[in-house]
Amino acid sequence: MTLAMKGAVLLVAVFLIVKFGLPLITAPLPMSLIWLYLFLTTVGIVVYGTLSAESTEALLGPIFRFLGGEGLNGSAKLARLAVLVLVPLLVGWQTYSELVPSSQPPAENRTIHPAPPGEFVGLANPVPNTPENVMMGKGLFSAFCSPCHGAKFNGNGPASDGFNPPPANFVDPGTIAQLQESYLFWRIKKGGVGLNVEGHPWKSAMPRWEVELPDEWIWKIIMAEYAGSGQKPRTWE
Amino acid sequence: MRGAPSGRALAALLAATVGLLWGAPVLSQETVVVRVKLIQGEVPTDPTAPIWNTIPATEFPMSPQVHWPKRILQVTVKSIRVRGVHNTKHIAFLLEYADPTRDPADAAALEFMVGDKKAHFAHGQPMAQVEGGPVNIWYWRSDTPGAADMNAQGFGTLKKQAQQDVQAKGVWKDEKTKVRFKERKLIPRKDAQGQAVKDPKTGDPLFDEETKVVEQEVTGVWRVVFVRALTTSDPNDAQFQPGTFPNIAFAVWDGKKLESGDLKESGSQKAVTSWWYFNAEPPTNYAIYLYGLIAVVVAAGVEYVIIRKVKKGQPA
Repeated sequence: MTLAMKGAVLLVAVFLIVKFGLPLITAPLPMSLIWLYLFLTTVGIVVYGTLSAESTEALLGPIFRFLGGEGLNGSAKLARLAVLVLVPLLVGWQTYSELVPSSQPPAENRTIHPAPPGEFVGLANPVPNTPENVMMGKGLFSAFCSPCHGAKFNGNGPASDGFNPPPANFVDPGTIAQLQESYLFWRIKKGGVGLNVEGHPWKSAMPRWEVELPDEWIWKIIMAEYAGSGQKPRTWE
Repeated sequence: MRGAPSGRALAALLAATVGLLWGAPVLSQETVVVRVKLIQGEVPTDPTAPIWNTIPATEFPMSPQVHWPKRILQVTVKSIRVRGVHNTKHIAFLLEYADPTRDPADAAALEFMVGDKKAHFAHGQPMAQVEGGPVNIWYWRSDTPGAADMNAQGFGTLKKQAQQDVQAKGVWKDEKTKVRFKERKLIPRKDAQGQAVKDPKTGDPLFDEETKVVEQEVTGVWRVVFVRALTTSDPNDAQFQPGTFPNIAFAVWDGKKLESGDLKESGSQKAVTSWWYFNAEPPTNYAIYLYGLIAVVVAAGVEYVIIRKVKKGQPA
């Protein structure tokens, strides 16, 4: 396999990994970032391939011969023609795509768990974690929280459908299992309107429960949310 | 023949890459947008105008208003279908939803942010760490001709504007329509012997949640059209530019009178959505096609120069 072929294989492999591989473990990457990775890979290939005269010939020789049509016949000739026609068309399409008004709304870079205010960091739950308190917390959760967060703590309550963003799914290990009890206390007490700008408070339907519920009830609800969802609060120990 | 096999393979790889990139979808967002189509002529003020049948609808699920007191847990309208058209001067939204009874207090509203500041979807209520702006609410009620053009910036601040710029008209028909919504039920979990299963730690009875999409046939549909100029001279109004993505939210009240004499839904007890988007289709800019064509010509020219140099034995 020539160096040019190896470079081409590497480019395709990088594309497949960032386009289809990474989304298996993280959020899908935007095409702009994928293009950046492909560009950086191409730069790396060119730098590596031009370290010596021999490697330069190994890298660029097949490309120049392909572009020049030297020694090509049959399907290779047709392939060259196709590439020469496709490249300008792709450039034209890309230009058109960049200029045409977008049909997608602006990207929403909402931070799901923004930093809480200082006074809510590291607070300990003052309510003893007893079966009675958890039971009372479940009753409060059922009365005040389950219409949105669901009777099974999965964010699938009957009032959840019209809200964007949807209510949190506490069973998901990416939500309350990643947070301390004091964080939940802040979120429940101050509600969606208590979020900072990164949390897009103008969209949140989470009520500001401090105007309706005493702190003790909120702490009990927090215990119920962990118990009912099978999660444990995050600790630093 | 040197170079031919690697040339074919190189072409195949290039073609595969091009194909993958060509077919690669852009990063999509799970965001619902009302596509407001650009039309020629006047925008329809009649909810039954035939042009509405040619405009695609966007459906939004509705939630009972549980964000602030006085709450409600069950609402009549489970979803709303929205269509929009504009003619670069005026914009019209058609709301369509199933409501089995025609009542004087049936009502619907649209909500928008005013100005550049973000406003909370619940009447622009104050936010602790963000300076919010007001909202502009267009309100229609079936027993009142026209619409009310209002502002709010916090609960209890809803106020009719001095300058009324919005028109609205609603038509109720006793036609049959199918309504689809999610229904959730908690089913007590039972063992093989039919006995209730309890949590071994707490002793609580365990339940399985069953969620299914239910389709019901409802007789009775409201179609309500709101019309306003895209831009107005009133600084209290939301202003719209084609091609942008302003936020929009919806609210619906079933004004059915209960046996107690109370209305089924009124005031803060209503079906709501939080913010979504609408996009007024911009007029076609034909220069875009010209710029694309110029790009094709320039790329072909660069290709020509490179190939010419390669054929002369001078690396480009």
